Amino acid sequence: MLKKDLILKSPVSRTIGIENIKDGRFGAVISRAGVGKTSFLVQIALTQLLMNEKILHISLVEPIEKINLRYNDGYTNLIDSIGYVDPQKALRLWEDIYPNKVGISYNESTFDTEKIKDYLKSFKKADLGMPSIIIMDGLNFDKDVSGTLERLDQLSREFSVFIWFSIKSHREEKLCDDGYPIQLETYKDKFDKAVFLNPVEDKIAAVILKDGARTDKAFRLDSATMTAIEE
Amino acid sequence: MIRDLKRVRNIGISAHIDSGKTTLTERILFYTARIHKINEVRGKDGVGATMDSMELERERGITIASAATYCEWDKHNINIIDTPGHVDFTVEVERSLRVLDGVILVLCSVSGVQSQSITVDQQMKRYQVPCIAFVNKCDRSGANPAKVSAQLRDKLGHNSVIMQLPIGLEDRHEGIIDLVTMKALYFEGENGEKVVVKDIPASMMDEAKTAREKMIDAVSLFSEALTDAILEEKEITTDLVMEAVRTGTISRQMTPVFLGSAYKNKAVQPLLDAVVNYLPSPLDIENQAIDMDNNEEAVILESSFDKPTVALAFKLEDGQYGQLTYIRVYQGCINKGDTLVNSRDGRKFKAGRLIRMHSNQMEDVEAVPAGHIGAMFGIECASGDTFVSPQINYTLLSMHIMEPVISLSIVPKDNKAQINMSKALNRFTKEDPTFKTYVDHETGDTIIQGMGELHLEVYVERMKREYGAEVVTGQPRVAYRETITQKALYNYTHKKQTGGAGQYGRVSGFIEPCDEDFLFVNKVTGGRIPTNYIPACEHGFKGCMEKGPKLEFPVTGVKVTLEDGAYHAVDSSDMAFKAAARGGFLEAYAKAKPVIKEPIMKVVIETPNEFQGSCMGLINQRRGIIQGSQEEGVMSVVESQVPLSEMFGFSTILRSATQGKAQFTMEFSAYKQVPQSVAEEIVKKKLEEKSKK
Repeated sequence: MLKKDLILKSPVSRTIGIENIKDGRFGAVISRAGVGKTSFLVQIALTQLLMNEKILHISLVEPIEKINLRYNDGYTNLIDSIGYVDPQKALRLWEDIYPNKVGISYNESTFDTEKIKDYLKSFKKADLGMPSIIIMDGLNFDKDVSGTLERLDQLSREFSVFIWFSIKSHREEKLCDDGYPIQLETYKDKFDKAVFLNPVEDKIAAVILKDGARTDKAFRLDSATMTAIEE
Repeated sequence: MIRDLKRVRNIGISAHIDSGKTTLTERILFYTARIHKINEVRGKDGVGATMDSMELERERGITIASAATYCEWDKHNINIIDTPGHVDFTVEVERSLRVLDGVILVLCSVSGVQSQSITVDQQMKRYQVPCIAFVNKCDRSGANPAKVSAQLRDKLGHNSVIMQLPIGLEDRHEGIIDLVTMKALYFEGENGEKVVVKDIPASMMDEAKTAREKMIDAVSLFSEALTDAILEEKEITTDLVMEAVRTGTISRQMTPVFLGSAYKNKAVQPLLDAVVNYLPSPLDIENQAIDMDNNEEAVILESSFDKPTVALAFKLEDGQYGQLTYIRVYQGCINKGDTLVNSRDGRKFKAGRLIRMHSNQMEDVEAVPAGHIGAMFGIECASGDTFVSPQINYTLLSMHIMEPVISLSIVPKDNKAQINMSKALNRFTKEDPTFKTYVDHETGDTIIQGMGELHLEVYVERMKREYGAEVVTGQPRVAYRETITQKALYNYTHKKQTGGAGQYGRVSGFIEPCDEDFLFVNKVTGGRIPTNYIPACEHGFKGCMEKGPKLEFPVTGVKVTLEDGAYHAVDSSDMAFKAAARGGFLEAYAKAKPVIKEPIMKVVIETPNEFQGSCMGLINQRRGIIQGSQEEGVMSVVESQVPLSEMFGFSTILRSATQGKAQFTMEFSAYKQVPQSVAEEIVKKKLEEKSKK
C-alpha cells in the first residue's frame, strides 16, 4: 500500500510516467548546475526500487557516501510528501528496497564502460536479476562523448537495460532552434527521452523535451525536495 | 616507575593491517634505547620485529596478541600496547583501548583511511580515547599525506590539523618541517637516529608559512591566550601553540596530524615528542568504576597512590612461569605482597611477583602505582576482572564484547593431544572473551567458537605450536539463530496423575517478536498463579530459548507475556509450572511463524581498479549486497554485506581472482532472516545430520 502511494506521488509518475521510465534505451535529465538533475535521477531510481526492480547508480562526480545520502534524502522527501507515515513502516520498506540499489563512484578520468560490462556480466554469470536501469551521473557532455555513448548503447542492447544520463547545460548558452540545449543537440537522435529542468521563481519547471506524445508538456516541482506540486 | 604521573603516558598504536604499526613500534623502541638493533617485520634477518613475540605472528607478519612494553622519552615513561590490526582480533584492540589514555592512529599515506581504520576509530570513540595521527609510508610511491588528512576529516569526522609538512615525498622524502617551531628536521645516521635541525628550505618557506597560519587558526579555538595573541598581534610562542594543541587533542576536538616513514627512519622522534606533548597523562583522564556496595553508583577514580587500589586485568598470557596477568592500575598502588580481592568472585589473593614488560622480556618491579601498566604472576583470573583493595567493592565498567559468529568442531589426534587441547582451550577462553568452547553432547565433539575463520585458525595453530595439541578440524559452522515473526497465543495445561504426587500447572498468554533476546512480562492478576511459581514459569520459557524447536538453533527476539493460568493446592510445584511453560512455548512457537536468521558480515574489499568488476561479481555470487564502490586513485573499495555462510574460503578465491592484489576485511554486522530457498537447504542438512546421529 505504502509502495503504491509513494509511486503515485513520485514526480516521475507525473512527468515521465511509470510505465514509460525504461521504454527505449537512453534518457536524459538536463539542467544547469545546481538545479537538481541528480535529485531527479534519484527519484527515477527510487520509483524503480519501489517497483521491486534493481538499479545501478554510477557517478563520475560524487563519492559513494554522497550518493547514499542522496538516496536517503530522496526517500525521506518522498515519504514526507504523502503526509503521515508510520516511521517503522517507512523504515521497513526502505530496508526492503535499498539493497536493490548499487552505487559505484568512478574517477571521471579513468572511467571505462568495460568496468560496467564486467559488473553486469557477473550478474548474468550468477544468474541474478539484472538492474532495470542505470543512472549515469556526471558524464561531461561538453566534451566529445560519442565513443562512450556508442559503447553504452551496445551495453544497453546486450543487457537490455535503460540508461538515464544527467546532462549539464550552461546559463549563458542559448537553446538551439529546436529548443534543445547544445549539449543534447549533437546526440539527440540517441535519446528516447529528455527532461529539461528550469528554475522558475522558487519552483522548478520540468519540461519534456522529447518523449513521443508527451513532448512539450510541462510540470512544476518543489525546488527543495524535487517532489511534484499539485496543480 | 616514575611516580610523577604528569610524566607518564599509556598509549596504543592502532591502525589498519599492514599500515606499519609494528615497524613504528620497533623504531620507537630503538630511539628510546630499549632495543639496540632494528628487526624488520617478516624480516630478512629471520628475527622478526621485537613486538611480534609469538612465532606465528612473525611468520604471518601480523600482530595477534597485544604485547605491552614501556620506554622512556624526554624524562617521560611511555607504556605502549601494540594492538592487532586484523578485525578478527578486534577484542584485543577493544581491551587495549579500555586501558589506554591515548592512541597513535597510524595511517598509510597511500591507502589513507581504510576500513579497519574506521572500525578502530569507532572503538576509540566508544572509549573516548584521544588520538594523534601519524601518516606513515611517506616514502612510498603515490604518498599523499594531505589527502589522508582530508580523509580523516571526511570519512572519520576528525578535526584533523596538519602539524608538519613533508620535505619531498615518495623516494625524495628527506625530512619534515615542524610548523610549530618552523624548523626543518632531517634524520641522519645509519638508522636515522641523529635529528638535524635546519632552517626551512627557501623553496618551501611560503608553503610552510601558509600551512602554519592555517594550523594556528585551527588550534586557536582551544586557547583564549592564543586567540588574544593573534588578535593583539603579539608574538605567538611555541608554548602557546603547544598548549592549545594539547587542550584540543585531550578534549578529542582535534587530531593533530604528523607524518614520516617509520621504515625509512624518518620523523619518528618528532612523533615521540608529540606523544609526550599532546597525548594525555593519566591525570588528564577521568576513569569511573561502579561501587557494588552502593547501589552500583558510579565512582570517579583518583590517580592517587594512597587511596584503595583499583586495577583491571586486561590481558592474560601463559608464560613459562605460569599465568601472566597484564594490569592497569587506576587508583592506589599494587605493592609486592599486598592483599587484593577479585571483585568478580570475591576471592582474595596476594600480589606476588610484579613485573613490567618489554615485549617478551620482563623486568621485576616492587610496585605498580596508579596510572601505570604492569603485569603479575600466579593470579587465577579472567580477562576483564577488577582487582581492588579489601575495603572496597568496585568493579570497572565491563568491556563491550561481541558474541561469536562461527564455530568449528575439533577432534584431538591422539590421547596426548586430548590432554593438551583441554589445557590450551582453558587458557584461550580465559585470555579471549570472544573465543568460546563447549562440548556438543549429541556428537561428543569439542566445538570452538570465534569471530571469524582466521580467528579460529590462529587458535588451532597456537594449540599445535604452544601446547603440542594436534587437532583435526571439521567444517566451519555458522551460528544460526531462530526467531518468530508474529504474535501467537498459548494456553497449556500440564497435568500428570500417574500415582504418587501429581503435577499440575496451567499457563496462558502470548509470545511476540521483540528487539531484546528474551523478555518476560508477568500480567497474572488475582493470584491465578501464585507469585512463588512465576519464576519457575519464566525459567521454563527461558529454557526453551537455548534450543529452538524448529532446528535446535538458539532462539532470540521473543517476548513472552504470561496473562493467566491455574494451579492446584497440592499438585502444583515449580517443576510442574516449568513443564507447563515449556509446553506453552512449544504450542505458541509453531504458530508464530518461526524463521532462521544468519549472521551477515560487513565485507570491505580493497582492490586495484582493474579488478573492481570481478570483485563485485564475487560478492554477487555469494548472496551479497553491494552497498557501494568507490575508486580512490589506483585502488577501489567495494563495501558489501554478505552472509557468513558464503564467506568460507573467500580469501583464496579473492586471491586467485585478483592475482593476489586485493585484500578484504570482514566483521559482524547483524543477524538477518535467511531467504526461503536457503532455509530449506539448512533444514535439509539439519535433518540429514539428525538421521546420521
